Amino acid sequence: MSAPVPPDATRTSYSTLVARELRKDRLAMLGLKAVIGLVALAIGAPLLVSNQPFLLRDASGLWSPWLRGLFDRLVFESAVDIFFNLLLLLAPFVALGAWALGRAKPELAAKRGRFLRGMGWVFVAVFCALAPERFGSLENPLHYSHQVQNYRIVASEARAAGHPLFAVFPPHPFSYKETDPTRSLLAPGAEHWLGTDTEGRDVFARMLYGTRISLSIGIVAVGLYVLIGIVVGALAGFFGGWIDSLLSRLIEIMICFPTFFLILTLAALIRERSIFHVMFIIGITSWTGVARLVRAEFLKHKGLEYVQAARALGIPVRRIIFGHILPNASAPVLVSATFGIASAILVESSLAFLGIGDPTVASWGETLNDGRLEQRLWLILGPGLAIFFVVTVFNLVGEGLRDALDPKLRR
Amino acid sequence: MKTYILRRLLLMIPTFFGISLMLFLILNLAPGRPGVQQNGDLAQSMRGEVTQESYRIFREQFHLDKPVLLNTRFSVTASEVREALQSAAGVSKTTAAERIDAQETLEDLGSYSVPHLAALLHDPELPTRDAAAYFLRLAALQPLEDPFNPRPSAELRAKNRAIDAENATLRTLRYTPEDSEETKQSVILGLERWYREHEGRFRFSTGDKIRRFFFDTRFAKYWRNLVRFDFGVSLTSREPVVPTLISKLKYSLSLSVGSLVLAYLIAVPLGVLSAVKKGTRLDRGVTLVLFMLYSLPSFFVATLLLFTFSAGSDLVALRFFPTGGWASRDAGELTTLGQWADIAWHLVLPMIAMTYGSLAALSRYMRTGLLDVIQADYVRTARAKGLSERWVIGKHALRNGLLPILTLLGGLLPAVLGGSVIIEYIFGIPGMGLWVVDAINQRDYNVILAVELFSTILVLFGLLLTDLSYALVDPRIRFE
Repeated sequence: MSAPVPPDATRTSYSTLVARELRKDRLAMLGLKAVIGLVALAIGAPLLVSNQPFLLRDASGLWSPWLRGLFDRLVFESAVDIFFNLLLLLAPFVALGAWALGRAKPELAAKRGRFLRGMGWVFVAVFCALAPERFGSLENPLHYSHQVQNYRIVASEARAAGHPLFAVFPPHPFSYKETDPTRSLLAPGAEHWLGTDTEGRDVFARMLYGTRISLSIGIVAVGLYVLIGIVVGALAGFFGGWIDSLLSRLIEIMICFPTFFLILTLAALIRERSIFHVMFIIGITSWTGVARLVRAEFLKHKGLEYVQAARALGIPVRRIIFGHILPNASAPVLVSATFGIASAILVESSLAFLGIGDPTVASWGETLNDGRLEQRLWLILGPGLAIFFVVTVFNLVGEGLRDALDPKLRR
Repeated sequence: MKTYILRRLLLMIPTFFGISLMLFLILNLAPGRPGVQQNGDLAQSMRGEVTQESYRIFREQFHLDKPVLLNTRFSVTASEVREALQSAAGVSKTTAAERIDAQETLEDLGSYSVPHLAALLHDPELPTRDAAAYFLRLAALQPLEDPFNPRPSAELRAKNRAIDAENATLRTLRYTPEDSEETKQSVILGLERWYREHEGRFRFSTGDKIRRFFFDTRFAKYWRNLVRFDFGVSLTSREPVVPTLISKLKYSLSLSVGSLVLAYLIAVPLGVLSAVKKGTRLDRGVTLVLFMLYSLPSFFVATLLLFTFSAGSDLVALRFFPTGGWASRDAGELTTLGQWADIAWHLVLPMIAMTYGSLAALSRYMRTGLLDVIQADYVRTARAKGLSERWVIGKHALRNGLLPILTLLGGLLPAVLGGSVIIEYIFGIPGMGLWVVDAINQRDYNVILAVELFSTILVLFGLLLTDLSYALVDPRIRFE
């Protein structure tokens, strides 16, 4: 029998320490809360803004167009929205599952992390499956589209005709893509909270759904380039020799590229580009920073005793790299990824601003450019402040993380 | 030092080569026809024999008929050629677009397809045979050697005269579908005779094949011009790229270098200030404000600045600056000094929009750099000697404290160049950024490549200068 250890002492891992340090940073915690709020807003967007009623009684009885519309490509044009809607439906169950897992049997509580991680991978897989429009000649079977009416107009016409329908709408019954030439460039008011753009689309709806685009751009693009950067950096740093020289050359070449020009060129050359193309392009052009960080960390770590011990034990190289060194080397990557999300969001909105984005999604940059061309302040301020807010929030979290990971830096 | 610079310069060559290779591949493998307005109706612009012929010449002129990187066309097989002929002649069921593609494939194959075409001259399928005769004549035509040489040697002249004569004979060897079968047969016989005479030209030795494999390609032809600093001709305006590029540089460089200088001029004192007043409200205030500025997207700020302070502003009292552009329309009538002032007046808003974002990082690094140095022994010594605080910071600490923000210069350069695209777009400044956006929309490869390669060169030299400036600031650093 081993000596009894106070339960807390065993759990003081590096991440616990960092979390404790981070909790002391008021601004960073504020940023973190804002990030969580943004994610919630992005997921819950249809609860606030949709032109599909939650409940409707018409000829076919009482039903929910809202629920059916959640997965309809005619209501939500982008697969990103379909994914977030899926999250909206499933997130409560996942949270409930995680909670129940801890509640039912205390010994299972430790497995909660694994459960959540597993669910995370499931969502990643779903996202990847939703992304392509078509596989070869086959249309993506996950893309469901059905002829859907604009029930707000249906309801108001019925009211005008004198036999009102029973319909429960979300608080702001507009869609981010419904155009209306008669409502072009309306100033903010009771009906359109933030006004409308040139095509008569509701700006508040576009702002809210733009959160989804920005967040997914940031997370996916950064996820992609962190992955590339880690692999390249780990290979270069761990193996050294000619592999290192080759990969370092490659990194150097990528650094000397004027990245924004490259992104611009790549994006413009793709026909029928979607938001996923933009994510991919940002991902494959911005990995150099992470690769350099990881390479430096690996150079530092590979001579340390624990790695030598692992080698002496005959552990396969793949597991030494990813199981032993990487967890120890990932701290700076985490910081750079957080800042990376902010800059990926900036790059996407710049592209949309230049008109080289995905025209089918609600991108903040596009609305801002609209405002610039039309000289309407409400079209400039809304998206501009939204981008500013999101970027600030991620930068705050990044700063906090950096200080928490390396308290020496804080002065 | 000299050897170090030399080594760095030499190292630039493979880096530059790698970048040009990657850019070249990206541009050439991307869909879309160069030189054709992408939003225009493609079918419309491709219609008509004349347009098609001129497009063929255009492709030849810009080597677009060559394979991109490696040439394997000498190994084209007879059945491939026959298939292409069939779809070009419309024998196999094809759409109009596929037919155009097949025609283009055959034109591109050029002399490599000659032996196979000659063999197909007696194809039982008459449309295929006619197509073979047609493309054989086209593929057999030889370009003149070095046609723009102002003082050709007698040898070259004789050679070109021979090529001309041969081409003239070949040009007579044509028939239209309406011609009688006899005429067609005689033309085909003529083509066959020609092929038998020149058969040797179309048999490649191994050395030939290797040479063509690497050098008869777009990339090789591009680099052959590049080493002479010839970036080619714009595919849309047909003007040489380099002079235009240099004329655009004036705008872009003054913007980006100007904003960099401005950023350093503002950030260094701010950084010093917050280092000296470390921990005070002033320090925290500066840090916070710069942090907020850093998070503001430049296109948002630029748009707001234009909205508020430009001549188009709703607030009449604040109409201080022009709505954009580089200089006023009537700037030519001003004195030299007046012109400079006019340009400066136009550049105020763009400069602000371009500069504020880099202040945060620069001043933060300056602050950290100085704080590191302030604790050093030699600074304490300087203080102990009774030097004034101003002297201690300004003379002893600052030079070493500057080191970290010099490293940033190399990294800032690509960002600044990229950022100038948006600023030029918003303020309508006719610099490189605006030019490259137009070029991208029109698939003007030579312009895109020239701009991006040129900015790569700028970045490469920027990095070198950064490293060299270490030695200037810190004599301890020596490059051996």
